[in-house]
Amino acid sequence: MGLRVRDAVVRYEGTTAVGGVSLDVADGEVLALLGPSGCGKSSLLRAVAGLEPLAAGGVAFDGQDLAGVPVHRRGFGLLFQDGQLFAHRDVAGNVAYGLETARVPRAERRERGRELLELVGLAGYERRAVSTLSGGERQRVALARALAPRPRLLLLDEPFSALDRGLRERLAVEVRAILTRTGTTAVFVTHDHDEAFTVADRVAVMGAPEPGGAGSGPRASDVAGTAAEDDAAGRSSGGVLLQVAAPEELWRAPASRRVARFLGYQAFVPLAGPEALPGSDGPGGAGRDGWLAVGPAGLRVLPPDVSEPRWGTAHPGPDRPGGGGAAGGWTGEAVGSVFRRGRTEVTVDVDLGAGVQRLAAVLDGAAGTAGTGAPAPGDKVTVALDPAGCAVVRG
Amino acid sequence: MDADGRRLTAPALRGRRGAPGRGGALGRGAGWALAAGVPLLFLGVFFAWPVVALVGRGFLADGGTVAGGVDLSGFRDVLTSPRTWRLVGLTLGQAAAGSAASVLLGLPAAYVLYRCRFPGRTLVRGLVTVPFVLPSVVVGVAFSALLQPGGLLGWAHLEETFLAVVLALVFFNYAVVVRTVGGLWERLDPRAEQAARALGASPWRAFRTVTLPALAPAIASAAAVVFLFCATAFGVVLVLGGIRYGTIETEIWTRTTQFLDLRTAAVLSVLQLVVVAGALAVSSRARARREHALDLQPERAAAQPLDLRRAPDAVAATVTALTVAGLLLLPLAGLVLRSFRAADGTWGLDNYVALGTTGGRNALVVTVWEALATSLRTAVLAAVIAVVVGGLVALVVSRRPRARAARRAVGVLDAVFMLPLGVSAVTVGFGFLVTLDRPLGLDVDLRTSGLLVPVAQAVVAVPLVVRTVLPVLRAIDPRLREAASVLGAAPGRVLRDVDLPVALRSLGLAIGFAFAVSLGEFGATSFLARPDAATLPVVIFRLIGRPGAENYGMALAASVVLAVLTAAVMMLAERLRGDRLGAAGGEF
Repeated sequence: MGLRVRDAVVRYEGTTAVGGVSLDVADGEVLALLGPSGCGKSSLLRAVAGLEPLAAGGVAFDGQDLAGVPVHRRGFGLLFQDGQLFAHRDVAGNVAYGLETARVPRAERRERGRELLELVGLAGYERRAVSTLSGGERQRVALARALAPRPRLLLLDEPFSALDRGLRERLAVEVRAILTRTGTTAVFVTHDHDEAFTVADRVAVMGAPEPGGAGSGPRASDVAGTAAEDDAAGRSSGGVLLQVAAPEELWRAPASRRVARFLGYQAFVPLAGPEALPGSDGPGGAGRDGWLAVGPAGLRVLPPDVSEPRWGTAHPGPDRPGGGGAAGGWTGEAVGSVFRRGRTEVTVDVDLGAGVQRLAAVLDGAAGTAGTGAPAPGDKVTVALDPAGCAVVRG
Repeated sequence: MDADGRRLTAPALRGRRGAPGRGGALGRGAGWALAAGVPLLFLGVFFAWPVVALVGRGFLADGGTVAGGVDLSGFRDVLTSPRTWRLVGLTLGQAAAGSAASVLLGLPAAYVLYRCRFPGRTLVRGLVTVPFVLPSVVVGVAFSALLQPGGLLGWAHLEETFLAVVLALVFFNYAVVVRTVGGLWERLDPRAEQAARALGASPWRAFRTVTLPALAPAIASAAAVVFLFCATAFGVVLVLGGIRYGTIETEIWTRTTQFLDLRTAAVLSVLQLVVVAGALAVSSRARARREHALDLQPERAAAQPLDLRRAPDAVAATVTALTVAGLLLLPLAGLVLRSFRAADGTWGLDNYVALGTTGGRNALVVTVWEALATSLRTAVLAAVIAVVVGGLVALVVSRRPRARAARRAVGVLDAVFMLPLGVSAVTVGFGFLVTLDRPLGLDVDLRTSGLLVPVAQAVVAVPLVVRTVLPVLRAIDPRLREAASVLGAAPGRVLRDVDLPVALRSLGLAIGFAFAVSLGEFGATSFLARPDAATLPVVIFRLIGRPGAENYGMALAASVVLAVLTAAVMMLAERLRGDRLGAAGGEF
């Protein structure tokens, strides 16, 4: 049961925003729709809400087809990026709105409103004018308003993107707690993978389909096939799902380099002998055994005392390319360094087997955590892979 | 909590969930068709039909029956007459001069009144708006009182000159420029100009290269609207231009009323329509760009305190002060002053006392007070009609339907309802007389029912109502409606809970505009009002046309009464608009 989307296509005049997406959200589950801006994730959400018509495919909830069911009869909740509170109603009036349309008695409305405001941490705000609220408070009111009628499904459209970073991170944790506590089934659209991982039980990565479908993961190519059929005009063919997985699984095993790159993996080392490589990471350049994706903390700068004996190891050995950061290593040139989150990150120009790339590497040892002794621009440094920060990508 | 416990138990809610709309789309379509159909029917019967009938009469030979065949010789005769081209030249010249002067004088005021803060700013803003709603006959009387020999500016010998007409037109339309441009300027992000300054631009250069281009759409839109108002000005030109100066509009009036020359009048009406359609096209394009620009800058930028030590502020403030004092206040003060001078040259309330009479040598059929009562009754009816029709139009036009064809239809509707602004009110009025003796074949003579005058005035007022309500409705974020919809509000309820509270804020102003326009309407009313049911502007015009210092004094006093009444209505309307509804301070 829950939400079931089948081959959904959303078109605006001339362009296709969503190119055939199939998706299931179980009862009580929180699913994040993650993707870069313009990939059609908001359009898909609006189609589920009934705000955009489907050009093809269908949306069903609890086994019931929602075609022909107007927005106001779907019993869903929707949280916009900027709240969209009713300026002529006070906070309590906003929260109670959905209960009024459901003809809930006044006393029950008031009780429910109080309960919801407490849930979102705004107890006692009933009579405040919405114009006096801060951005974070507005979003909390909007959340309370959406939750008040106990929606069968809550749709959240980048609800925190208008807020500053600290508040965003805090609210993401709170929303997760609120959704879990109320057992709300939810679809959460975001372009921020940290946010998606914080809030969701499962994450669906969305993006434009791979050209020709080649090089995309097996899951994605299934879906991309549908999109290609729909795209007779050959114009923008709309977003498709690239991978759906739980956060840990998604991080551990991205289905393709595109998904991995979107999650923040910064480089890909072919898992095959260098002689098999044409030297680029284009679709034809896949190693026999796939790629090793280097995560944001998957590369380390070895301290000078450790790297000294290894000067001259310009390229990884032919047997184990990149395998085992401690054993192998690459020489690169430091470009600059920043100290943040308690460690030093060095920007390095280095060739991992696919040409010289500018990558970020964590400075190991005491020098790194102290924030001193970072290599100066131009210094030769040795970098090695940290297996804990890497993943194997097949496609 | 179990799975069922967290569902709302209210049975009403369960029953409604997931239920397909009962013929929802169909019902909604019918609703919108009705909302568009009622105004269209109104416009068709009370505007298009009379105008087409009258214009057609000019082209049909043999007493205006279709059987007589079409006779286009009128075109040849009129278009080859040098008099016609002199009038066209005068109309365009007067409109061009009027709009250029309005823009030049209005820009500094827009800056001072919307970009600067100083004590009394609200008062000056209100003062600037008053002339716009004054009846044209009153403005004509005020300026002629000022310019005629013995008036405050009698020494300048401006009476019955082109310059006098242009000055009066600027007096009228100054507020259009100030409000339109000021409204945008107020919302313009000051940081663009600050960025230019930081890049080394002088204040003047920053204004010229950054601010002015940003304001251009508002300036173009205001200029086009002012051009339109100037080109179709009637009462002012009739009173001030005397016999030497005229426009297409006054010529239509002269041709129809003095010479019963419908053929010439019809050709002139078509000619005027061409001029007006051009100005409307320019203004609607500029308006579309402006509303787009407003989308980009919804925030209200903070106004700086007025600093007279800075050269730009000092220049702008000086120009504004001189304009407001010399062009706006002087004629009004002169009018009020002269109204207290009796026929025998003494000062006192004689002219006002005379308002209870029918004038010297019985110039009138009714007393001025009776005419005032008629005016008020008529205006109430006209305002109700205009607000209902105009409100419906604004509602329909504010929608952005998904289908391209429907969007185009909405655009056409928008344009069609601007037409009454441009078609000669004289044509409308005379067309009523011609067609509405048996409207739609019904056996009721609307001409004697007393309904004709308010209906004609409503036709003239509808465009203003639309222009007042529409921007407010368009400014509603469509997602606000979607939010209500997702929370279970049916389309009608969304309209009630989202659109209505916002529209109410502009409705007060719309009612005020409609009421004020109706109070001052002269062109159509002069045709339709029977002598025993004359309105105040008609009475004033009749009084200044009659000989006798006593009648002229009465005209001045009546003008003051009408001006005060109109200004009071507008002030009340601005108050009604109040910000009690949206605590956000009026911006959405």
